[in-house]
Amino acid sequence: MEEEVRIVEVDGVEHKQPIVIEGLPDVGLVGTIASSYIVEKMGYKEIGYIESDLFVPVMVIHEGKLKTPFRLYSDDDGSVIVVLSEVAVPPKAVYPLTTALAEWFHKIGAKLVISIKGLPVKNRMDIEKPEVFAVGNTEDAIQVLKDKQMDFLEEGFIAGTYAMMLWECTKRKLNAISLLAQCFPVYPDPGAAASAIESVKKFSPKLTVDVGELLENAEEIKLKARDLMAQTALSASEMQKGLEQDMPIMYR
Amino acid sequence: MEIERRILKATWEHNGNLEPLYEVEDKGDEILVTFDLPRVRKENITIQTTEDTVEVTAKMSNAVCWEHWGVLQKKITFQAFRKHIKLPEPIEPERAEASFKSGILRITLPKVRKKVSIKVG
Repeated sequence: MEEEVRIVEVDGVEHKQPIVIEGLPDVGLVGTIASSYIVEKMGYKEIGYIESDLFVPVMVIHEGKLKTPFRLYSDDDGSVIVVLSEVAVPPKAVYPLTTALAEWFHKIGAKLVISIKGLPVKNRMDIEKPEVFAVGNTEDAIQVLKDKQMDFLEEGFIAGTYAMMLWECTKRKLNAISLLAQCFPVYPDPGAAASAIESVKKFSPKLTVDVGELLENAEEIKLKARDLMAQTALSASEMQKGLEQDMPIMYR
Repeated sequence: MEIERRILKATWEHNGNLEPLYEVEDKGDEILVTFDLPRVRKENITIQTTEDTVEVTAKMSNAVCWEHWGVLQKKITFQAFRKHIKLPEPIEPERAEASFKSGILRITLPKVRKKVSIKVG
């Protein structure tokens, strides 16, 4: 049977136990804004794409060239990979997409998978610099987070692509972490993306990205990201993202 | 408390107006409407409410001009946000309050309080 989600690499790409940065659209578009800024500022090259019949039938045109909205980027020596998308992930695609990505990360020998996401907070407008919280999927991943002195999410539900990404990586004994920056739930949040990038830099010294320009251009980024944010918010409601505000029933 | 969220796809118009992202929440006794208004100053926001609608117009401090907008890559300029929302329940416009911080406009719209006497049978 044909795979529901296909990951296609250009020929000749070599991977050297890469750190993977996954920035698929989610609350506040934190991952999308952060990962696309990293790709642009670090000059990463496009190394492939993701296609699926489960995705919306959309292609993107950039500088006259046809591209798929789900794309893969890498640095020159194959030690960092970025996964990003310019359209929302349909809820029905979450399981097959995260399964296919985790399988591919395993195949290329990824050292660590980092999902950049937002943590919606009601009082975001009162927060000057968003804090970043972390979740790790294995003892090793948790130790990495402790070594970097990250604050942890201790209790509660997590929902969406990053939740399943953590789980699919766990099943393949891949170390994965999620970095969640406090953000506006349904508005694009470049400030949260800047905080997330600062945290990602702790895990990859090769990322020498300065977030100054991201913060300077925050208002323009918010304007450009309106439509993707609206798509993502609709998709998120179907993924039970609201559960992240609830408490689980299990006692300790 | 049940929270109803209504999120509609943002759009744009050729007349220089952008539709802002917004959210409508049912907070029980009141309806909370928020708008994301980047590039806007407080003094340039106009809010008009009736019993069942709210309309926001917000002029940007600097017009935003994109040289290559859309598939045809045409130059386009936006000067303001504008949005008219039909509310899910009647509200009392005189008691409405608004605040603006960090580019987010919050409008609190108290619902009409209907008192009904119930006869004990």
